[in-house]
Amino acid sequence: MSDRKIFSVVGIFDSAQHLMNAIPDIRKRVNAPLEAYTPYPVEGLDKLLGYRKSPVGGMVLVMGIIGALSALGFELWTSGRDYPQVTAGKPLFSWEAFVPIMFEVTVLFAAFTAGLGMLLLLNRLPMFRHPMLRSSSLPLVTRDRFALAVEARGAEIDVEKITRLLQEFGAKSVEVVEEPAPAGVASPKFFLRTLTAIGIVCILAGFITYWTMKLFPIVKPMVHMLDQPRLNPQSPSRYFSDGSGMRMPVSGTVARGSVPYTIRNQELAGDLVNPLYRTETVLRQGRQAYMNNCSVCHGVLGDGKTSLTKAYGAKPANLVSQSIAGLPDGKLYHVIVAGKNAMASYSAELGEDERWATVHYLRVLQRAANARDEDIPK
Amino acid sequence: MNKQPGVRGMGADRKLIVLAGAGLVGIVVSWIVSGGERFWANWILWFLFLLTIGLGSLFIVALEHVVGARWSIPLRRVPERLSSLVLIVAPIALLALLSLDSLYSWTSPEALANPIIAGKRPWLNVPFFIARVIACLLLWGLAWWILVRGSIKQDKTRDARFNLRARRFAPLFMIIFGITITIVAFDWISSMEPEWYSDIFGVYIFAGTFLAGLAATTLALLYLQSRGRLKDITRDHMYNLGGFLFAFTVFWSYIGFAQYMLMWYANIPEEVFWYQERIEGAWGPILLGLAVFHFLVPFFLLIPRDAKRDPRFLFWTAAIMLFSHWLDLYWMIFPVLDLGPLFGLPEISFSILFVSAALLWIRFSMTRGADMPAGDPLLSEGLEFRL
Amino acid sequence: MKSGSTLTTAESTLQLLKPPSVVTGHLTIGGLDDQVLTPVGTKPPLAWFVAFSVTLSATLIGIALIAYTIATGIGVWGNNVPVAWAFDIINFVFWVGIGHAGTLISAILLLFRARWRNAISRFSEAMTIFAVICATLFPLIHVGRPWLAFWLAPYPNQRAIWPNFRSPLLWDVFAVNTYFLVSLLFWYIGLIPDLASLRDRTTNRVKKAVYTVLALGWRGASLHWHHYERAYLIIAGLATGLVLSVHSVVSFDFAVSLVPGWHMTIFPPYFVTGAIFAGFAMVVMAMVVVRKTMRLENLITDYHLEVMNKVILTCSCLMGYAYLLEGFTAWYSMNPYIHHTFMQYITGSYWWAGWLTITCNVLIPQLLWLRPIRRSYSGMILVAVAVTVGMWFERFVIIVSSLHQDFLPSSWQIYKPTFVDYGILLGSFGLFFTLVLLFARVLPVIATSEMKMVLPGSQPAHKGGRHE
Repeated sequence: MSDRKIFSVVGIFDSAQHLMNAIPDIRKRVNAPLEAYTPYPVEGLDKLLGYRKSPVGGMVLVMGIIGALSALGFELWTSGRDYPQVTAGKPLFSWEAFVPIMFEVTVLFAAFTAGLGMLLLLNRLPMFRHPMLRSSSLPLVTRDRFALAVEARGAEIDVEKITRLLQEFGAKSVEVVEEPAPAGVASPKFFLRTLTAIGIVCILAGFITYWTMKLFPIVKPMVHMLDQPRLNPQSPSRYFSDGSGMRMPVSGTVARGSVPYTIRNQELAGDLVNPLYRTETVLRQGRQAYMNNCSVCHGVLGDGKTSLTKAYGAKPANLVSQSIAGLPDGKLYHVIVAGKNAMASYSAELGEDERWATVHYLRVLQRAANARDEDIPK
Repeated sequence: MNKQPGVRGMGADRKLIVLAGAGLVGIVVSWIVSGGERFWANWILWFLFLLTIGLGSLFIVALEHVVGARWSIPLRRVPERLSSLVLIVAPIALLALLSLDSLYSWTSPEALANPIIAGKRPWLNVPFFIARVIACLLLWGLAWWILVRGSIKQDKTRDARFNLRARRFAPLFMIIFGITITIVAFDWISSMEPEWYSDIFGVYIFAGTFLAGLAATTLALLYLQSRGRLKDITRDHMYNLGGFLFAFTVFWSYIGFAQYMLMWYANIPEEVFWYQERIEGAWGPILLGLAVFHFLVPFFLLIPRDAKRDPRFLFWTAAIMLFSHWLDLYWMIFPVLDLGPLFGLPEISFSILFVSAALLWIRFSMTRGADMPAGDPLLSEGLEFRL
Repeated sequence: MKSGSTLTTAESTLQLLKPPSVVTGHLTIGGLDDQVLTPVGTKPPLAWFVAFSVTLSATLIGIALIAYTIATGIGVWGNNVPVAWAFDIINFVFWVGIGHAGTLISAILLLFRARWRNAISRFSEAMTIFAVICATLFPLIHVGRPWLAFWLAPYPNQRAIWPNFRSPLLWDVFAVNTYFLVSLLFWYIGLIPDLASLRDRTTNRVKKAVYTVLALGWRGASLHWHHYERAYLIIAGLATGLVLSVHSVVSFDFAVSLVPGWHMTIFPPYFVTGAIFAGFAMVVMAMVVVRKTMRLENLITDYHLEVMNKVILTCSCLMGYAYLLEGFTAWYSMNPYIHHTFMQYITGSYWWAGWLTITCNVLIPQLLWLRPIRRSYSGMILVAVAVTVGMWFERFVIIVSSLHQDFLPSSWQIYKPTFVDYGILLGSFGLFFTLVLLFARVLPVIATSEMKMVLPGSQPAHKGGRHE
């Protein structure tokens, strides 16, 4: 006789049928709560013991819906609002493409609610300190016996009476199970609390990380390198007397690779000689340069007939006319470099070689406009 | 045992005959007023609706034999009777062949100018089409003869060898069923837009067919129970039936979504135009209604365990499912008319005619013969089924 | 026909119609425990060690070659433009498919209340988990920089971007991970009562401590069983949804694309059927070996094998339907690219793979119509091996044959796998069977509590109730 309190009186039965037969009789005669222990689920036992419908289904439905909505919402928010990127021409809020993941997350939430909810919440497992785990009846139960326990639940119970009743209604043996020492750390509540805490920490960490990644990088002092004591373009500066940070290049500055062109008017340019030979390569280059730069105003055939004449009332020169055909190469070169009348300088668009090549091509156009029978090859 | 009073109330029969007559007049008027194309669209719609109910029921019967299920034996007579629709639908099918010229553009010579349709000529030509229709009807008739008529005969002969024969034939019927339902899907529905193709379409129509058979079986079963018959069929049997309704609602939705999503994703014009026609304009709300009534409503209604056992719940859910199957066929067929979703005189008169005729036939056929396969040796085991 | 002989015919017919008992011979509940739980944790026979050394060697070869791949790069594989996906994805789809049979047996058959499933559910569910482990290996190593694979997870990051939720490759990540986690949960929950039995049987202190922790203090309380049954059934229902969806998501990898031969709407149910098909073949092969070597013929009966063979036959017919429809649609679509691709399947450079697929998947399993084949070990193993080979080659045909001649003729090229490809495939088989062998000795291969539930006489007699 130990000084431990009695937890329950357990009767062991040989078969499920015997257990089922005994329960109504015992229930009638004993006021204390009953618990049955079986190696496998016995049909009809839950009704006999008066259990209500298990809430697992309801929990699963709720969590499943939460899973579905949160997955869909997350996908819509990330792909539609936070980082909106059009992929394969699909609309931003393309719900069709979000359904598969939504479905999988729903199943994940629902399944884990069912499994963990059943274990942790409803069954309060893991529980390693239940008195039954120390009894000698349990190994019999997990093998092939069926037990009915009349639990004390704090009140006083008449052990002898219950033992007699159990034996009367078919129990092959009876055991008195005592309560163990008080529970230590590893209780179900501890597990539940720990898991919940981990869950909350994870969710919080997610949010914190997100805002840290989004806001923090653009807030000082994280971006101190954005704030440098340097002269930014288009800002004022007191260093210079006129207060402007933007400075003009020193007078006389030339662009790299350019040779200054000092001829002041077209007359003087007449002495320039075309340094390029009239080869097919040069002519092709000239044609390309002409087509890209000149043909828009002077026409593909060089005759000055383009839509510009109608649209703007401009009058580009007819380059294949007698007067211009009679000009020496240098004068044509001068117009390209210095411009003439409404035509601007093309020295920036065409390098020196290209200009001379264009001049060669102009000659081609002029020859073509005044072609003779002898020009046609046999 | 054969005729039970209170089932064939003459008053109800008379009302239905009158309604059917009104419907008949209505469809003749609508032919004159609204034209042949719309008439035939309705005809095809109702033909397919009844055919799918009959085929679905036949599939249920064959499935039971293939799997060797015993819980469903007490119920089997209901889908067996419903499956006679595959015979009744034969004249309707043959008359439907008259619609080929108006609804099926591949029959017209202009269509042959289109190389896509011209290329399909080896399959889409009138003689072969008719041959396929007749072959399908004959095969379904054969299956009905072996499976259903054999079962009805077994009531008297009590010969257990029918079960063996049915078990041997049923797998073969499954193959026949798979091929014929695909032919029905491709020929009657898909070829209305001959440029379109989707190889899951046969499976999609199968899913709808099976559900139609299940829903019709459930409705007929509950109707008979409300008349005091089939009392031995318990809530546990209904639970299983409800479970099938739930599972195949999910299956249909999965197939429907898969087809839609794949076409949406690839966005290939020669495929996606079929869906575009059925989403744009007024068809969009119809599609939404389909998603709601064919998936969402039955899905959520049938989740609770108790809902699957409750006769009234099941009755209304099955009714919604049968209606949504009709809506599915309507949504697939009517856009071909290019008139938007219509529900006018033709549709109403066709509905009245076919629904009253179907109800008349159900009332007539359900009252003859035994309520359960009385000759089946495993019937008692089926009746003893508990969850 | 005399009445006497008619009765005998009727009786014998009735016998043929009823399914046999879930166990052959007489077995008590305690006897079941002894038969199944005694070998757990004990020293295995020599044959096991021989098998284990073979599978372990294969695994190690695979691991070495994976290390080589990661260190050197994907160039050591045969993958190249246009066949950018080859053995990696073939193996991935193959193994994920094999997993589905286990879930079908343990989850879907539970929903159908098919009692015969209880003897094979534990083993097949374990096979699912091992197959999914083998499967996840491949997407992981085929990304080229597996150490950056965590980028696929949707976490807030410095790059301020999210993964592409519209991509089927990401759907795969979620689907396969969900499938793995849910299967693991389902399997573990099913194991808890068995772990409790092991805890109460063992005398070894270390084992007892391990089983105690793993069993979570399960004591068989009826209130616990009440909630447990409900949760188990619900998870089974959810796992059923996963069977359909996971392999459908895998099929979306192909079907959402524009590659001719891949963009066929029938892919989702076709892949799911193929998965069940290949999985059942693997289960049959495993079952034949397990029941023989662990002497479980009375629990995993001939009836089990026959039913599984019938499932294989059904799936084979469905695959035939799918092939027929693919071929028909390839013509019916009047799309020259799809047509060309399909003709490549059967007459192109890889025609032998196409015909191997059709023969192994559709023709050979038709032998199962014959009862003697369904009931003979050599017959079923022949069919199961053919199906495994056929299903692997089916994925080969779909991936390699479609890709090697895709849109740009200038890119057309023959794909040649390297020894690394073969080695990693071998390694995956090695890994799978190593895990299976370990499982068979460390945990009970039959779910004893589930099996006890369906033994004759284990449930109290209802007022005339039956459960089929």
